[in-house]
Amino acid sequence: MSRVSAAAAFCATLKRDLLISIKRRNEVLNPFMFFLIVVSLFPLGISPEGAMLRQIAAGVIWIAVLLASMLSMDSLYRSDYEDGSLEQLLLSSQPLYLLVFAKNIAHWLVSGLPVIVVSPLLAYMLSLPAAGYPALVLSLLLGVPVVGMVGSIAVALTVGLGSRGLILAVIAVPMSVPVLIFGTLAVQNSLAGASPVGYLALLGAMLAAAASLAPVATAAALRIALHG
Amino acid sequence: MAGRWQWLHRLGSPRWFYATTTRWLPWLAGAMALLLAVGTVWALLYLPPDYQQGDTSRILVVHVAVAGASLSFFPLMAVAGTVTLVWRIKLADMVAKNAAPLGAWFSFLTLATGSIWGSVSWGTWWEWTDSRLVSMLFQFFLLLGVISLRAALDNSATAARACALLSIVGCINVVVIKYSVQWWNTLHQPPSPISMQVGSPNGPEFWVATAIMAVAVYLFLALSLILATRNEILERESKAQWVRELALGAT
Amino acid sequence: MLAELQFDSLQEFLAMGGYAFNVWSVYALFAVFVFANLALPLRRRRLILRRLAARGDLAQSPAAAEQSGWEVSTVGEELQEQQREQKEQREQEEQGTKP
Repeated sequence: MSRVSAAAAFCATLKRDLLISIKRRNEVLNPFMFFLIVVSLFPLGISPEGAMLRQIAAGVIWIAVLLASMLSMDSLYRSDYEDGSLEQLLLSSQPLYLLVFAKNIAHWLVSGLPVIVVSPLLAYMLSLPAAGYPALVLSLLLGVPVVGMVGSIAVALTVGLGSRGLILAVIAVPMSVPVLIFGTLAVQNSLAGASPVGYLALLGAMLAAAASLAPVATAAALRIALHG
Repeated sequence: MAGRWQWLHRLGSPRWFYATTTRWLPWLAGAMALLLAVGTVWALLYLPPDYQQGDTSRILVVHVAVAGASLSFFPLMAVAGTVTLVWRIKLADMVAKNAAPLGAWFSFLTLATGSIWGSVSWGTWWEWTDSRLVSMLFQFFLLLGVISLRAALDNSATAARACALLSIVGCINVVVIKYSVQWWNTLHQPPSPISMQVGSPNGPEFWVATAIMAVAVYLFLALSLILATRNEILERESKAQWVRELALGAT
Repeated sequence: MLAELQFDSLQEFLAMGGYAFNVWSVYALFAVFVFANLALPLRRRRLILRRLAARGDLAQSPAAAEQSGWEVSTVGEELQEQQREQKEQREQEEQGTKP
C-alpha cells in the first residue's frame, strides 16, 4: 500500500462524496424542494400582504434553511454506515477530522449552496426590500456551513440508529439558535439602514470556531457511535 | 497513567461512593431541611415586601435560587462527560445520566416560577424580551435532547460516551446561546417599564434570604442527585457481592 | 430589624397583598418539586433492593438465604422464583448431557 498524503485523502473524500451525490440526485433534491415548499407556505398561512411578508421574510428563509438542512443531513453518514465505507474511514491512517471536514464541505456544496443561490428569488417572492439582499446572502453563506458542521456532530452521534429523523432535529435545532439570531439580525439591521457588518463578522467568527472544533467533535462522535 | 490518576479511580469506585454517601446523607438531609425551613419561613413571613413588586418579591427568593442551580447542570454534565471520555470512569456517567432529567426539571421549574412572577411584574406570562427566560427555554430543549439521545441508544457504554460528548458540546452551546439571546434582546427594546434587574430595589434582607434558599436548593440538588446515583449503582452493580449482601440485609 | 413579622393576621398572610395565587402557587410547585425529587428516588431504591434480594437469594445457597432472614413476600416473586429454578434445572441438565 502506497502512502497517501493527508491533502490527497482530503481531496479524494471530497471528490467521492460529490460523485455519490451526483449519482443520487433525488436524495439531494428532496430537501431542496422541501425548502421551496416550506417558504411558499408562509404567505398562504400568514398573510399575502407585502408589509407583513417584508418583516418576516428573513426569518422565514432562515428557518426553512434550518429545517431543510436537518432533512439533508439525515443522510450524511447513513449510506456510508450501511455500506461499511464509514468503517473504512475510521480505520484509515489519515486524521479522521480532516476526512469529516471534507465530507462537510461536500455536503455544503451539494445541499447548502443551491439553497443560498435561490434565496434571493424567494426573498423577492416574500417582498424583501432590495437593501436586505446582500446581508441575506452573505449571512447564509457564513451561517449555513456552521449549521451543517454543528449538526454533523448530532448526525454522527445517532448514526447507528434505525429511525433518527426526529431525534436529530431535537438535538441539532436548538444548537443552531445563535446562527438564526445573528443571520436574521444582519438582514433586519441592513433593512433599518444600519450596517450588518458586525453580525456578519460574528457569523464569521462562529464559522471559524465551528470549522476548527466541530470536525474534531464529529470524528470523536463517529468513533463513539461505531466502536462504543 | 496508572500512578498519577490512581486517586481519581479510587474516587470513581461506585462502592466507595456508595459507602461515603451513606455516611454523608443524614448530614446533607439535615442541613437541607434546616436551610429550606429557615429560607422559606424568612421569605414568606419576615421578608419586607418590595415597594414596587409588593409581596411578589417572595416568589423571587425561590425563583432566583432555583434558576441559579439550573445553570450548574450543563457545566456539571460537561465535567462528568470529560471524566467519562478520558478516564472511562463509570461513576461519572451514572451521575451525568441522572443529572439530565433532574436538570430538565430544574429548568422547567425556573420557567414556571419565572412566568408566574412575570404575570404580575410584566403583566404577561411569557416575555420573549427577557433573555434569561428565553435562554433557559433553550437550555431545557438541549437537556431534553441529551435525555432522548440516552433513551435512543441501546448499548449503555455507547450511550454513556455519546451523551458525554453531547453534554460537552451542549455546555459550550448554552453559553453561546445565552450571550446571543442577550444581544438579540438588547436590540428589541424591552417594552416593560419595570426594571427586570433582580434586586435593584431590594435591600440586603432580600439577598440574605435568597442566599440561604440558594444554598438549600444546591443541597437539595446534591441530595437528589446522590440518591438517584446510588440507585443507578445498585442497578448496574447488581451482580457485585457487596450489593447482594446489602439487598439481603435491607429487606 | 431582620426579625420583623410582616403580617398582622392569618388572613393577611394568606392574601399575600393580593398576590395569593402567584405566591402560593410558586411555593406549592417548589414543595411538590422538592418532595417528588426526593421521594421518587427513595421509592425506587426500595423497589430495586426488593428485586435484588429476590434475585440475590437464589444465587446463594438456601441455607444462606435462611440465615439472612429473607422471606418470599409476594405471589409474583414466588412464581418468578419457581420459573427461575426450573430454568436453572434445565440448564444443568443440558450441561450434563453435553459432554
